[in-house]
Amino acid sequence: MRDFCQSVLRVARTLSLVTRHSSRLLRPLEILALVVLLYWLGAPPPILVTLGPRQTVHTSNPKMGVHTRLTDEVEEWKIKKTLELVREMGTPWIVDYFPWGYIEDDEGEFDWAHADLVVDHARQQGLTVVARLGFVPHWARPEGAVTSYLDEAHYPHLANFVREFAARFKGRIKYIVIWNEPNTNFEWGYRPVDPAGYVRMLQAVYPAAKQGNPEVQILAGALAPVLAPPGATDAMNDLEYLQKMYAAGAKDYFDILAVHAYGWKSPADEPPSADRVNFRRTELLHDIMAQNGDGAKYVMITEGGWNDHPRWTKAVRPAERIANTLRAYDLCKQWDWMDACMMWAFRYPAPAQTYQDYFTFVTPEFDPKPIYFEVQKYATK
Amino acid sequence: MSLATRLRPGTLPVLLLALLLVAWYAVANWSPKPPPKPDATWTRIVSQGVFRIGIDPSFPPFETDDGKGNLSGLDIALADEMVRDWSSALVTQTIRVEYVYTGFDGLYDALKAGQFDAILSALPYNPQKTEDVSFSHSYYNGGPLIVVRADDAKTKSWYDLAGKRVGVELGSSGDVFARKWQGRLKYDLQEFNTPVDALHALRGGALDAVFTDAITFDDFAKTASGLKSVGDPLSNELYVLAVRRDTPTPLGQINAVIDAMKRDGRMERLQAKWF
Repeated sequence: MRDFCQSVLRVARTLSLVTRHSSRLLRPLEILALVVLLYWLGAPPPILVTLGPRQTVHTSNPKMGVHTRLTDEVEEWKIKKTLELVREMGTPWIVDYFPWGYIEDDEGEFDWAHADLVVDHARQQGLTVVARLGFVPHWARPEGAVTSYLDEAHYPHLANFVREFAARFKGRIKYIVIWNEPNTNFEWGYRPVDPAGYVRMLQAVYPAAKQGNPEVQILAGALAPVLAPPGATDAMNDLEYLQKMYAAGAKDYFDILAVHAYGWKSPADEPPSADRVNFRRTELLHDIMAQNGDGAKYVMITEGGWNDHPRWTKAVRPAERIANTLRAYDLCKQWDWMDACMMWAFRYPAPAQTYQDYFTFVTPEFDPKPIYFEVQKYATK
Repeated sequence: MSLATRLRPGTLPVLLLALLLVAWYAVANWSPKPPPKPDATWTRIVSQGVFRIGIDPSFPPFETDDGKGNLSGLDIALADEMVRDWSSALVTQTIRVEYVYTGFDGLYDALKAGQFDAILSALPYNPQKTEDVSFSHSYYNGGPLIVVRADDAKTKSWYDLAGKRVGVELGSSGDVFARKWQGRLKYDLQEFNTPVDALHALRGGALDAVFTDAITFDDFAKTASGLKSVGDPLSNELYVLAVRRDTPTPLGQINAVIDAMKRDGRMERLQAKWF
């Protein structure tokens, strides 16, 4: 700082000498130097954030987790604070979204800064990270196409990114989810959903991921739980979609099935049924795995839970949400084929201003909601 | 030396005369600012005689649909009062309400898209939306209240609850508030699965107070006596109407009716009828 001040003063003095002997037009430069100096001195110092000491999650249920939303969180202290709160709640797993288009905005050029930040802070808090990949960069899709649009000609580009990602985070990230809810046309580039097309994506990506890191585990599916009738144009029933994935040869191209398990208005214990969307629908998906000779594979719930918005039609009362969430964590603990159970969503960087805000455990201002304390009580009992 | 002594003799009267002339000119030419021209939305409401309201009719007692398209509730009665007042003032034109059913989360977008003129749907005031819409004056505060037994003359605010037994609905806004103050006031916080369970416990003497939202308490009080609310709401949840920012005339007209109803007692009667 002293050096900087001396440099600025030296420049100002030099300018002063110059101006004394030459044109007075140089005076503004002195003023500018002074303004720059004052601005620099007046600016608040950057917030110092360090990784801090390595922490451990204390929990009675090691399968508990949450989906964090750090993708759009800019400030490092907020990333760290979020992950500290996750650890203190007693949930050792997180899943977060690492958009391909953010990291490889220009083909072949990778910006890992934000991803590194999230992953390093998470690991320092003792959390296991599951990385969800998606979001097609502009150069890999037609102009005007949505970010969920990826045609087969670009599968090698996705595979290359997954290889780079797996290699970059070797030793830090072991679980990667490929795509999100491909059984909805919204998440499939507004095209008719195509289980075989998704399997071809997995076939391109899976070997590339293993090249990047032989230990990485590829999660597939992450299907939206929907009851769409056969032939629906906006989505395909998740049970039907999974069966079609197997029919298209998916079995050898993923290691773990990712499941989205929302309870809507049903209690966590409600028995599964093909015509109901409820938490235990997860069991039906596992049954399909078993029917296809794949029952030895594990399942991870990478989204799920209940909502307590006072007006939303699929919401429950806050007390029901708490009871269901705790019971769901219990069920996950009991299911020996379940690896981890990550509820949507821990905290948003900013309010969504919709019912979505009532899925969270902590407000954007870091105020824990009662459900946070109840989960913490459960996890530390 | 004073200003008067520094001036040349005779200058001061001339200055004063000039000032007087300026003042006279200003007064003579002053005319009140003409009222702003009504905006296009209000002009259309008046010319067509239709006030279009966006509503999610799934929130009794504010709005509910009987399944045959018949709406009822406090918001419906409030809208009726509005168009009645406007029609009386206009004399030449009768305005009626047309409801546009919209899911609660879609109300703001539909308003911005011009699908209706205002949102009236037990809509809580949201300061983060003021860039997009203008909000009316509030007509109801749904924030959590302190409810005690009717014979409790000592409890006036939450500060009086130190060391006492306080009930809340688990996870509710009352619960959020109660947890924040528990460390300081050291009350015995008891959580219930529903607010009605907590209110029954209060009536039965198992609690000294309940923090619950105004709607639940007002509804409970319709059928169960022996309880009262005390003090101000623990936090505000102000119900308002919303209009587009470029429609100040309807906003002014809405506010005028709400203010008049608060003054002449109609708002109180309306709330008494629906709660």
